[in-house]
Amino acid sequence: MSDFIFNYIPVFDLFLLHLGFAFSQYIALRSGVFSLATAAFAGIGAYTAGILSVKLGLPSPVGIAAGVVLGTAAALFLSLPLSKLRGVYQAIATVAFVQIVVSLNIYLEGLTGGAMGLNGIPHTVGTPVLFVAAAGVAYMMWAINRTRLGRTFDVIREDEAVAVSLGVPMARYQTLGFALSGGIAGLFGGLEAHHTYALEPNQFGFTFLIAILSYVVLGGRSSVLGPIVGTAVLIALPEIARPLDENRVLVYGLLLILVINFLPRGIADTAIDRLRLRRVARSGSAPAKAGKAVET
Amino acid sequence: MTELVLENVGKTFGGVVASENVNIRVPAGRITGLIGPNGAGKTTIVNMITGMLALSSGRITFGDTDLTTMMPHRIAEAGLARTFQNIRLLKDASILENVMIGFHMAERSTLLSALFRLPGAAKETRDTRAAAMALLDRFGMTHLRDHPAGSLSYGHQRRVEMMRALAADPQLLLLDEPVAGMNEAESAELARIFRELTDEGRAILLIEHDMRFVTDLCHHVYVLDGGKVISEGRPADVLADPVVVTAYLGESIDAA
Ligand SMILES: Nc1ncnc2c1ncn2[C@@H]1O[C@H](COP(=O)(O)OP(=O)(O)OP(=O)(O)O)[C@@H](O)[C@H]1O
Ligand SMILES: [Mg+2]
Repeated sequence: MSDFIFNYIPVFDLFLLHLGFAFSQYIALRSGVFSLATAAFAGIGAYTAGILSVKLGLPSPVGIAAGVVLGTAAALFLSLPLSKLRGVYQAIATVAFVQIVVSLNIYLEGLTGGAMGLNGIPHTVGTPVLFVAAAGVAYMMWAINRTRLGRTFDVIREDEAVAVSLGVPMARYQTLGFALSGGIAGLFGGLEAHHTYALEPNQFGFTFLIAILSYVVLGGRSSVLGPIVGTAVLIALPEIARPLDENRVLVYGLLLILVINFLPRGIADTAIDRLRLRRVARSGSAPAKAGKAVET
Repeated sequence: MTELVLENVGKTFGGVVASENVNIRVPAGRITGLIGPNGAGKTTIVNMITGMLALSSGRITFGDTDLTTMMPHRIAEAGLARTFQNIRLLKDASILENVMIGFHMAERSTLLSALFRLPGAAKETRDTRAAAMALLDRFGMTHLRDHPAGSLSYGHQRRVEMMRALAADPQLLLLDEPVAGMNEAESAELARIFRELTDEGRAILLIEHDMRFVTDLCHHVYVLDGGKVISEGRPADVLADPVVVTAYLGESIDAA
């Protein structure tokens, strides 16, 4: 299972890799798509890079780039049926897609090595490459947030009726968000393949999906800091308290339930809101709450 | 001048007839009223005009543009903007952010320009913020710009909805009970703004229960009851119409 990754990758590298996946999850949720498909796109990217390298002997940048392209293409393809679904149905459909990719990686033995996994992938990706990739994606998210794209994603996620009433072509924005999610996960899947020598089909299954989702839910879904904080906390936690490591999935599951109930906006977004409220309060202009009227 | 025209518009929900043979014209530069008792079908009309509900029958045109089967975001692009009777704001976002969202169609940034044309993208956001601030100023809400929308009174929240709709620079503004929950002074202030807006050549379709407000402001009024237009004309004439009086029987006619 994916304990393999958790145990054998140095902590900082693990953080950088999973931050990339967290951003993939983040941008999908940010655009109002309830996708859990990041695991599938990561698997597609990783196996594409691995296969092109091991079976065809192509240089790793080519394989990684192909992983990005295929991850994006899979997302674009999946966005067609997904745009007809909402909320929990999108989540279910994408979980099914994750399972399909896991199954394909098991059954296409000739290509993927099947259940035995794909071994002997050249180790060409180290900490610097991971750092540049994670920083690049973080910059992309930040750039999106400071233009109309970020504001538009916000309104789509919160209220579709308002979004379309303001002239937002919703389907186009959601396809963009989902395609970015696919491309980013494809990229970090390829990077992971070339960082770990070996791939194993269940690596990108349910455990992975829960871990990635936990990062974003714990950290926050609005600001770019959300996925960063969430990933950092959940990667560091088992390092600090070793026993947690063995029950990682259980701990993540419990944390998810606690956070959803008591901190629904996540650590970073809640902190940012608090700071802003305090600034508003200090500026001294109290809102006219007293005039609150009853609706007719 | 572009005019909104509803021809024989009908809508049924299962067995419920929410609109039947409705004919309405909303000319530019005028405030047109749409009144009627609760459940008369007023909001349904606005939802059909803005494409959020499909028509069961009839046709809606805006100038030369046929809106009947258009996607809602295309209808917005054609120059129509609305507010919602049940206020729909981003509650955690600030007033300023809520208004800035309204400028979507005026802005041009795409993913590529956001990534590679930093100064341009940053300038666009600055310009949008300045334009939003100008609207806040017009509605006397500059001092509240950083407050989360959800923390304000209904009166203020309704104004935020109007600013957001105006940010799209619409030719036709559809207002669903814009002064509900406001006091006399606040609604007088809005009346002044509505007149300014029509002086600029915009059209307004105003849904309102406050009859004095409607009489003071509207050039022409349609009265709906049971989904049908039962009377239309100048406000004073319409309110004197026995059919209208009967429709409102049992309800105080100037109920807010
Ligand atoms: N989505 C819907 N599904 C089923 N029935 C609906 C729907 N929307 C409205 N109706 C029905 O259509 C009729 C007209 O409703 P509408 O909301 O248009 O009235 P209104 O004139 O805006 O009333 P109010 O003054 O209370 O806002 C009502 O009987 C309502 O129950
Ligand atoms: Mg209504």
